[in-house]
Amino acid sequence: MTQYEEKLSAFLDGELPEKDAREIEAALERDPALQAELDALMQADALAQDAFAEILAEPVPAALAAAVRDAPEARPANVSTAPMGSSWWAAAAVVLALGLGGAGGYMTGLSQETPVAAAPGWLVDIADYHRVYAGQKRHLVEVGADEADHIRTWLTNTVGAPVPTPDLSEHGLTFRGARLLVAAGKPVAQLMYTDADDRVVALCLIATDSPREGTAVQTIGAFEMVSWGGNGANFVIVGDEGRSDLEAIAATAGIST
Amino acid sequence: MTAMTMTAFEMPAPCIAPCRVARIVGVASHERDVAAEMKSDLIAMLPRLRRFARSLTRSATEADDLVQEACLRALSRSDQWDPTQPLDRWVFRITRNLWISEIRKRGVRMGEGQVPAEETSELVSPVTGEHSVAATELQAQIAALPAELSSVLLAVSVEGYSYAEAAELLDVPIGTVMSRVHRARKTLAAKLSDSGGYDK
Repeated sequence: MTQYEEKLSAFLDGELPEKDAREIEAALERDPALQAELDALMQADALAQDAFAEILAEPVPAALAAAVRDAPEARPANVSTAPMGSSWWAAAAVVLALGLGGAGGYMTGLSQETPVAAAPGWLVDIADYHRVYAGQKRHLVEVGADEADHIRTWLTNTVGAPVPTPDLSEHGLTFRGARLLVAAGKPVAQLMYTDADDRVVALCLIATDSPREGTAVQTIGAFEMVSWGGNGANFVIVGDEGRSDLEAIAATAGIST
Repeated sequence: MTAMTMTAFEMPAPCIAPCRVARIVGVASHERDVAAEMKSDLIAMLPRLRRFARSLTRSATEADDLVQEACLRALSRSDQWDPTQPLDRWVFRITRNLWISEIRKRGVRMGEGQVPAEETSELVSPVTGEHSVAATELQAQIAALPAELSSVLLAVSVEGYSYAEAAELLDVPIGTVMSRVHRARKTLAAKLSDSGGYDK
């Protein structure tokens, strides 16, 4: 097509030097064929992301999960035998109650007395995801905000609880789109918002039969989390530790959920 | 282990506090706890591991076998994991290396002789036909890509790895990542234009 065609993917992935990227941008403006080529690549990307997201949403075969769970360790395992997807909140709460969350991880030694402490810490997973994805510019979300309808249907079906995309603009937050995550062995909807300074605030949602009562505020790693439950799900708002508006944001999100 | 041999009177007074005692006991069980914690993390990671394995094997059954083997290997070598590094990338690498060695073994069995290590990343999975049944139309499109393209596409476009990270993960040069991710998208795009585009 043109000399630029081969660089389009690297352009799409943000892997071109600034100078080359600007050249491509200029070429895209004057060359509709090149623009069409880029659109086709982006469409291919969307297909790949949906196809791979389908795999993520498949239930993990019980035999596989059991094989990992029952894998031999240095001594008979008595800490990880809780069934998958068992009370994620209880597990996270114990981790927090023990004061382990603030250190950004688990403390060794205590877990043998407290079986659930070694269960997957949902909020710790969320903090990890947030650290990874909040730094992503081009790949912040899997599905963009322009497809909000699709996001709600897709994530509601996948997560198994109604997934809203609340309007948080009164807090200066713009909805950017969503990702599907997995924490504590269960699918989690992650809705991404950014403020005027491009700081990311995420609303995460996991289905549960027993939503938590009341609101909790914790700090995990460098992130603050405000969590609450309702409507068949537990929710958490995640943002940078320094933010003072997360509870207000959670209140708004809580009303719309 | 030295902590276990330490007797009570050797401990400074504050160690009597419950947390200190727990920590001292914990030194001996540290490796076990790393393994137990890793086990929980691996279970939570299973969907992503299966997806990564699927991009290599193109077969759901083989992918699950591969994931299981990779998890067991990771657990048996938990002392080799550097906790400052992301666990997922470490396990992805284990998964990928196991698959490469599996492909090489099959190559030998199929009378193709030993394959030089540097060429193995070029190998297309020998799995074909009935084994590579895709669950859905969408997945069929991905499954139709050669393995070396779909794994790069997954790493870059879906997992969001940079070209440098994907290159390290998949053991190929950065330039190869760049050309493969482009070829993967081009191949999918060509099929899409044949079928009238992709509309979610």
